[in-house]
Amino acid sequence: MTGAVAPRVELAHVSRTYAAGTAEAVRALREVDLVLPAGEFVSVEGPSGCGKTTLLNLVGLLDSPSDGELRWDGTPVGLRSDRERSRLRLETVGFIFQRFYLLPTLTAVENVELPMRALGMPRAERRARAAELLAEVGLSERARAYPHQLSGGEEQRVAIARAVANGPGLLLADEPTGELDSASARTVLDLLVRVRAARSATLVLVTHNPEVASRASRHLTLRDGRVVSDRSGA
Amino acid sequence: MRRRSGSRALRHARWQSVLAVAAIASAVALPVVLVSVGGGVASHELASLEQTGYQLVLSAEGLHGIEDAHPDEARLLQLPNVVDAAPILSIPIDVFNASGNASPVLAEGVVPREFSPTLGPTEASLFPDPLPLGDPNDTVRYADGSYAGPTTYDVLLSSTYAAKFHVAVGSEVVLSPTISLSQGVTYRVTGLFGTPLSIAQPSGAFAAVLLLSNLQVLTDYGNASHAVVPDGADTIEIVVAPAAAENPASLAQVAREVQAAFPSYTVTSLSSEASELRSAASVLTGFYLALSSVGLAVGLLFLSLVLVRRVERERRSIGIRRAIGVPPWSVAGAIVEDGAVLAAGGGVLGVVSGYVVVRALATWASSTVREAAQLAIFGPLFLAELVAAVVGLSMVASLAAVRAAWRVDVLEALR
Repeated sequence: MTGAVAPRVELAHVSRTYAAGTAEAVRALREVDLVLPAGEFVSVEGPSGCGKTTLLNLVGLLDSPSDGELRWDGTPVGLRSDRERSRLRLETVGFIFQRFYLLPTLTAVENVELPMRALGMPRAERRARAAELLAEVGLSERARAYPHQLSGGEEQRVAIARAVANGPGLLLADEPTGELDSASARTVLDLLVRVRAARSATLVLVTHNPEVASRASRHLTLRDGRVVSDRSGA
Repeated sequence: MRRRSGSRALRHARWQSVLAVAAIASAVALPVVLVSVGGGVASHELASLEQTGYQLVLSAEGLHGIEDAHPDEARLLQLPNVVDAAPILSIPIDVFNASGNASPVLAEGVVPREFSPTLGPTEASLFPDPLPLGDPNDTVRYADGSYAGPTTYDVLLSSTYAAKFHVAVGSEVVLSPTISLSQGVTYRVTGLFGTPLSIAQPSGAFAAVLLLSNLQVLTDYGNASHAVVPDGADTIEIVVAPAAAENPASLAQVAREVQAAFPSYTVTSLSSEASELRSAASVLTGFYLALSSVGLAVGLLFLSLVLVRRVERERRSIGIRRAIGVPPWSVAGAIVEDGAVLAAGGGVLGVVSGYVVVRALATWASSTVREAAQLAIFGPLFLAELVAAVVGLSMVASLAAVRAAWRVDVLEALR
């Protein structure tokens, strides 16, 4: 599968306010200006509630900015319709969540097939590709296992296989090692780095862990919804 | 969230799914039973009407309201296009067998030569031909109203009666207008006849056929107030010449002529009776379906609740699918599909259950219900339409769940 080309992501004065106009309004992100060139490995750090996940959700079109503009390759995409953003996510974005979020009623291979099925790929083709991906993450033997039969590390590896199933150009990982022991965390991180490199995809990785963040080539630090530090170097 | 994952989800919500299927199945079984049995009975009665050998019926108000059955028969035969006119007197009597056991029996007094042509093909096959009652025209004993002529005391008994009381052709029984044996007259059994299945009419299981004049005299026995035996009958069945019978206008003309000749009696056309029966059957079918729709509404409401509850329980799964990029319509489609699968399952189970219930009734129910169930017709088209309608309605029932799924906030679901 060729996959999508990684888009150049630009945020121009992007803010995100929840419950806007009410007394409980929360400004999760404040006038963020940011450019994420294609193929970059970016870590996002910061204290809890500083807006890391909000930034990730905006970049991955799970959420829409309250103000400002979000562009992919120069094209505004932040305020597109739900249907269009779903399509863009399906074709271009791969999400990896802290809590894995595999569907409990599907086996590992069926979970990996899910994005390809949504894309309308023929069954035989997607089954073969899912098997390849599970082999790539070292879980060929666990293809028929349900999520509750897998360890945390295995679940996250299945989730990574699912995230790259449609060949996305943009990988977004929200604390992917947050619920794993250190050995599993290393395995998962190595895997993430490897699949990113193999696909020349952009990887935006939210983490609290400095060791995990140190693997990135660019480091963003957020505080109170603002980017307070943006530095390069592994 | 296509077929396979949908069915997997159904298995995971096993009890809710089973209850929804059961609710729909019971709602579908009801119309299957009602319409198949009701339709079967109506079809049977219609077929009986359409297969009879007569086309018009002359009747009068009150029991045995036709007072001059023999002369009226003769007058009718004088009318154009009337080829047979069969007066019939129906009276319950008691029959005593050789052991002295009395049984109530529906007796029919007939004029053999006129009665035979009024039988349809099915009924005709049940009777001996000609009827062995001794006097084909029933004119010997009647003798122009004197009832002084000689007669043969011959009677035909239904085969069910004969089997029950071990009565054979050639044996003797006593027919009595009352439960008293002393008022009875000894008759010789000269033949047996089968009884057609009938729901609309009184059961003919225990029945006797004898000469009209014999039954008239028998049932007037001991009635001192009658100086002369009344020549009574209930109806006169009229056979119209084939050419006129097949032409509605000609048949109507014959009916008018009969009515003109007997202005105080009522003339009924069997074709109009059939038409009325068809209308009544349609109304009944509509009523059955309306009645069933209440159960179906409950079943579909339950299905709707099950689907909504599943959406609430699977908010996270829906959120995950949406986050991956599965379009909302695909998620909604899977819910509709799940509802359709449950409804189809319930529909098929309901059809099977209805069939089993009808077959059970046809085997084990009490006589009238059993006979009705035996006539049931399972129209494949109706059953297919019923299941299709249930599946179609399940889509409406799944709308609330679809709406709930559509409104799932992805970010909230993933929190």
